[in-house]
Amino acid sequence: MPYKYIGRTHDFRGKSLWEILGNLKNFGVGRIVARNILERYPEPSYIKILKVETLPHPENESPDNQRKIRVLVEQTFRGKTSPVPVLMERISYKPDFKLIPKDEEANYCKKIESVKDTRILPRTMEFPPLLKYLVAQDILNNKGKVTNEDFQLEIAYNKRSRNVKYKIAGEGEKPTETFSMGLGKPVTLRFYKGIKLNN
Amino acid sequence: MFQLIKSFSALKLSSNTIAKYCTYNLSYNPALLPVKKTHRKPRWVPVAKSKVFRIPKKPKLPEDEANEIRRLFNNYKNNVRSIRKYLYKKHCTIFEISSDPQEILKEFKEDLVKCHEINDKWNAEVKINREARLQKELDEELVLAEKKIEEQMLREEEMYAFTEELVRKQKEASISFITPENIDAIIDKALAEETDYNFAIYPNGEKIIGKKTRPTQETEKVVGAQ
Repeated sequence: MPYKYIGRTHDFRGKSLWEILGNLKNFGVGRIVARNILERYPEPSYIKILKVETLPHPENESPDNQRKIRVLVEQTFRGKTSPVPVLMERISYKPDFKLIPKDEEANYCKKIESVKDTRILPRTMEFPPLLKYLVAQDILNNKGKVTNEDFQLEIAYNKRSRNVKYKIAGEGEKPTETFSMGLGKPVTLRFYKGIKLNN
Repeated sequence: MFQLIKSFSALKLSSNTIAKYCTYNLSYNPALLPVKKTHRKPRWVPVAKSKVFRIPKKPKLPEDEANEIRRLFNNYKNNVRSIRKYLYKKHCTIFEISSDPQEILKEFKEDLVKCHEINDKWNAEVKINREARLQKELDEELVLAEKKIEEQMLREEEMYAFTEELVRKQKEASISFITPENIDAIIDKALAEETDYNFAIYPNGEKIIGKKTRPTQETEKVVGAQ
């Protein structure tokens, strides 16, 4: 009798790691396996099987409770290969793996040079209107004269993140983008029909 | 306004007070608003039976729309974070503190003097409490020791009386003891006063001694003894 699935769906496509490696000679050591969910990225992501250790069947095996497997792999994520092997066990039950045929391996693992982020983001931006007015009042009461520099709000970027790809404009450097308190420069124009955009 | 007056009257306020409050400016003030409650049902209430097998359709946004939403949300987060940082820097008292080392040292010393004063005060308070506590404990211990000594003495007296009684009883009993001095006399007495146990007895304790309870001839007596 075919399975009739009830409940919410997920975005996985493929087989669990045990379903693939259990049917291969020598548990597929040396083969390339990829996850379908990582195909959203332009750079290739895949794993190379180095060592396999089987685990027992779960007590109540079902499509919701699949068999796991402990695999030592060489992991490549978005074109970057991890220098140390990775032990995979917890995610091995996910039905999201696919085996790359041997003749397609070279093509699948071909490196793609990722596009470099050349953006230079501004260091400051303008105040929102009411705050700008308050700032002006404040400065007028204290100093008596307002300069253009007083209206520059320093942008709080996440400087500690390791994943930062953009560059923040230094002194005298011209930023490639500008930020403002309004709607900004739209990516998709079709949502702004009949709306006057300042930027 | 009627609601307001009603709520005041529920608090049993005087009419003058209510009149005073009624003159207040009731413009928008977020602090006076009731606390906003979530409209969700509690966490422990399960999914309704009619909705257990309902599969909600996954929203699928067009790519450009998703990009536009992401851009707007990123901009919003960026702007709000920047404003928050600006206001924090402006109003935070930490940045008002001088960076002059001499001034910091002076402040530190003043603070230390204050701390010492507080500490001395605490120590004095604690000293008074400690001495009172130690005195109280000493008194209690003395009372306890006296009580223990009294109990010990009473116990010794009791023990002495008990031994005295025991010795007296033994002395009384020792009058009838057989000693090497009186053994011959007692043997003679026992031989002279021969006891005859050949009798019957009634339940009420009456003894019935027969006419002939003993063998008369000596030979028979010897045979019977064997």
